Amino acid sequence: MSVTSKEAVWPIVTSSGHLRVELDRPARYKVGDRVLTKNVNYPAHTRLPRFARGKIGTVHLVHGGFPFPETMAQSGDPKPEYVYSVRFEARELWGAEGSPKDAVYVDMWDSYIEPAPETGR
Amino acid sequence: MSSHDHEHEHSLVPSEPALRIKALESLLVEKGVLDPAAVDEIIDVFEHRVGPRNGALVVAKAWTDPEFRKRLLADGTAAVRELGFLGMQGEEVVAVENTQNVHNVVVCTLCSCYPWPLLGLPPAWYKSLAYRSRVVIEPRKVLEDFGLKVSDDKEVRVWDSNSEVRYIVLPERPAGSETLSEAELAELVTRESMIGTGVAKAPA
Repeated sequence: MSVTSKEAVWPIVTSSGHLRVELDRPARYKVGDRVLTKNVNYPAHTRLPRFARGKIGTVHLVHGGFPFPETMAQSGDPKPEYVYSVRFEARELWGAEGSPKDAVYVDMWDSYIEPAPETGR
Repeated sequence: MSSHDHEHEHSLVPSEPALRIKALESLLVEKGVLDPAAVDEIIDVFEHRVGPRNGALVVAKAWTDPEFRKRLLADGTAAVRELGFLGMQGEEVVAVENTQNVHNVVVCTLCSCYPWPLLGLPPAWYKSLAYRSRVVIEPRKVLEDFGLKVSDDKEVRVWDSNSEVRYIVLPERPAGSETLSEAELAELVTRESMIGTGVAKAPA
């Protein structure tokens, strides 16, 4: 087993650029697309917050490709996917108690979302 | 106080997490897995070399250099790379701008993701369950707890940094700071103003 030395700390702390993955497929969603988050209760590690499940939001940014937390946690397999910043109106998340003016932006891996239905909310 | 002259109280046992960490550290050192000098170095880095001063320099540059501000808002990672402040726990950066119409605030609801190379280690309150759960539900009340009243005409945007992307708030440049230099402006930029639980200080 390799032991991190004192000298190795600063290069590690200041290194960057190894998380992003260039994917050989285009992103499924573009800025402005309305998406519905999945309402799943995954039994292990997930980065899909409970408050943002089964909610409709709008794609605000396409961040690019990143390793998928579920497979990373289970087996170390990165299975990278596109990640998006999705905007949810406070009222969509919290009902009438939410402020009509405010919003929460949550980063969503592609597997967490599907196209929003044409009608409804 | 006991008769000897140092200050610690013998009756106080360190907290359970502190004891657990001490036990883990000594085991890892004994087994040759961990170099204590490396641990000291990590602590030194985040106590003395990396902290909110870095983020403040980014903000001050954005306030004084309109082209840099544009680059920062269009591609935070590339703009922060220009200043050499990318790194562990801050490899991908998105900067969100406070304006007269919008106030931004950052949280990590799932754990404590935070832009280390720009702001240092997260404060204890940032990691608290209360902040993480409340700020998404009632951001205005939480900001009031921090002494910040956001006007009703402003939209509040809460950014949940639950992926590898780290968010930093570009605060509004305070009124009366027009004549200040970039270095003087950086002094007005607080850690809280870059998380969004505060605003930049007014010039003295």
